[in-house]
Amino acid sequence: MLSRPLTALLAACALVAVLATTACGGSGGDRSLVHVPGDVATITKAVDRVAPGGTVLIAPGVYDEQVVVGKRDVTIRGEDRDAVVVDGGGRRPYGVVATADGVRIENLTVRRTTFYGVLVTGLHDENGPSAHDGQGYTHLDPDKFPPVQRFSIDHVTATDNGLYGIYAFDANHGVIRDSYASGSADSGFYVGQCRSCDILVQGNVAERNAVGFENANASDSVVIVGNRFSGNRVGMTLISNYQEAFTPQRANTVVGNLVSDNQQADTPEQATGGWGIGLGISGGQDNVLLRNRITGNVRAGVLLANTEDLAATGNTFTDDVLTGNGVAVANVSAARAPASGNCVTPAAAPTLPADLLADCHGTQPTGTLPAVDVPAGTSFLEVAAPPAQPSMPDPGERGPLPATVTMPDLDTIPVPAADLLADLAGTAQGSS
Amino acid sequence: MSDTPGISRRALLLGTGGVVAAAAVAAVGTAVTQGGPTTSTTTDRAPGVRATGRTQAGVARPATPQRQALHAVLRLGGGADPGPDLRSGLAAAGATILRLVSGPSDELPDGPGDLTIHVGLGPGPLAAIDPTLPAATAMPRFAGDDGIPAGRDDGDVLVALASSDGTALRPALDAVVASLPGATTLWAEHGFRGPGQGTIARNPLGYHDGIIVPEGDDELDENVWLAHGPLAGATVCVLRRLRLDRTRFAALAEGERDRVIGRHADGRPLSGGGPTAEVDLQAKTPEGAYLTPARSHARAAHPSFTGSALMLRRGYAFDRGPLADGTADAGLLFVCFAHDLETFVRTQLRLDETDDLMPFTTPTASGSFLVLPGFDAAHPLGHQLWA
Repeated sequence: MLSRPLTALLAACALVAVLATTACGGSGGDRSLVHVPGDVATITKAVDRVAPGGTVLIAPGVYDEQVVVGKRDVTIRGEDRDAVVVDGGGRRPYGVVATADGVRIENLTVRRTTFYGVLVTGLHDENGPSAHDGQGYTHLDPDKFPPVQRFSIDHVTATDNGLYGIYAFDANHGVIRDSYASGSADSGFYVGQCRSCDILVQGNVAERNAVGFENANASDSVVIVGNRFSGNRVGMTLISNYQEAFTPQRANTVVGNLVSDNQQADTPEQATGGWGIGLGISGGQDNVLLRNRITGNVRAGVLLANTEDLAATGNTFTDDVLTGNGVAVANVSAARAPASGNCVTPAAAPTLPADLLADCHGTQPTGTLPAVDVPAGTSFLEVAAPPAQPSMPDPGERGPLPATVTMPDLDTIPVPAADLLADLAGTAQGSS
Repeated sequence: MSDTPGISRRALLLGTGGVVAAAAVAAVGTAVTQGGPTTSTTTDRAPGVRATGRTQAGVARPATPQRQALHAVLRLGGGADPGPDLRSGLAAAGATILRLVSGPSDELPDGPGDLTIHVGLGPGPLAAIDPTLPAATAMPRFAGDDGIPAGRDDGDVLVALASSDGTALRPALDAVVASLPGATTLWAEHGFRGPGQGTIARNPLGYHDGIIVPEGDDELDENVWLAHGPLAGATVCVLRRLRLDRTRFAALAEGERDRVIGRHADGRPLSGGGPTAEVDLQAKTPEGAYLTPARSHARAAHPSFTGSALMLRRGYAFDRGPLADGTADAGLLFVCFAHDLETFVRTQLRLDETDDLMPFTTPTASGSFLVLPGFDAAHPLGHQLWA
């Protein structure tokens, strides 16, 4: 959830910048296309060499490095998604970090980092290492660190990363698409800390993570559509979190996702004991859920809870399939922040408590989920490898990323089939 | 991930952190007794603590709390009308305090030593003066509060005394109470602290308390003192008399005790670092478990989860001997200060939900008070309330 090690990385980046002048800045480099390892041996050197707006094209190989892309409109692209691997070795914090506007990261694999596989963020310190001792609970100051603009993460595989697989925070106008994340000790995908985010999360697969997809404090115009969040300990979460900027979380649009069978044992544990939950909303408000298939989660399809004094309110579920869960919807909110206004149409059953949805327009009754024995976790470095993932077709000539994201026509998105994206998921193929 | 860089919550929450030790030293070095000699007829009296100024003594000065304390909670006489009687009573109490700490007195023939006395008002009189005053609203009921005996959770006045010399406390308290016409004592607790530097001391469970607190002028200004208006220099104090089931806690295996607290008995966080290091809330095992356990006290009480200020904590142990059932009426008088009441309230509500230490505690008295701004001979105690 937090950005703790980032400032350390960027402090190091600033130091390098002093010495080499180009490593992290927005200038230097004049090549529109740099091949790795054809032109230079490492991706980092290629980022030094490439011009703003240019492309770093990476041939198959394992790259033992972490890469900061601080140069505008640069594309970091692998030639073969499964065979181009940025490897953290179980000791480097990051795989690929984008801190400049307009960066594309696509068609490659990032694995075995201790924190984040791929990260896009505006939180970087131009003043150098002054903050290096303060990288803890970085309360993002959005005035000091304006969000990075325009990003694309496409056909990226992130596996066996210590916290998050693919992570965007303090970032606006971006797409996370057709990617895959497994083995994350926190969440496979994570979008956080933005308002008027204009972020599309579409066609991704998250499995064997503690949490498949997480949103903390990312609000308005976050559109989550057509993803498979199945075979994790918790499928997805929409949460408010005082440890980060922009509480409360609100007003995401969640359409046509498969959120099923989230009681996968061969994953890292969810640190607060999460298990058997499809969608958890903790202090999230006014989210709109349409035509999702939320099934086979042994404790609850949807779990409503508070975050401290922030209540889960005004979330609406319309035409979702909520069957085969322990209970369809459970409310465990504390008395100090009671859930209210969470409506499910048509009504789903069973619920906890039984009269949870009797009148969704006021304060809603609360209950307690039965305790369960949660299996011990697996090291994030030992989670099963993903099945083969498709490479991204050659995109041809492209201009810079557009200023805003083109959102799909949500009216055309149906309830997904129970086997949505199953061909890309190991947990769907009996290989667990 | 145990090799993550060290983090400084204080630096992040507060934007400072490097000046703490120097500021604490300076506070001690400048301490003087107001208006009179600091020496006394005996040679081992502790140096005096300044009584006057923007803030009252005994909250943040001395930086290392005196080892003995007496907290008394009073009921005001004269019904609910706080009017002129309260105003003149507070002024008289303030004058008494200045007299007691200015040199040898009838009550304290050897002089005040390091005696400090501060006074606060509870929600009853505050609301009667002005319901919009800070801390004029009573706290909500917390888990276990139903068992607090009548008269031990709704006091009107706090008189808090601290000294290296425990025998100085009662005579001084009696003198202050006598200054408040009609006031009666609802409850009072003598407390004691183990040795320590700054606010860190071992609590009755054998673990260090007061490790992460605001220190130095900048952090105190940001977290503890009301900053603006006529009440600048006031602070909100919460008292919680917590009987502790030390026997049951001590029966846990050492590792289990550490997991309840989130630190080892020598202070080291389970997430790594030295005895005064901050806990790392995000560090995990490769298998995904928090190194600072999910329901540990250190995690539950962390201000980042509630978006709260950092509380100044200066608690004292108490021991009243056995109860009728043979268990000890002993534990911790929790004492905290922050710039608003919500800091404590939000934190305690969170503890009730997520803290594995709470089952070892039983609240037996509770109160919240606005500790009034500082005063001196020309500016009577409490005069700002009617400014």
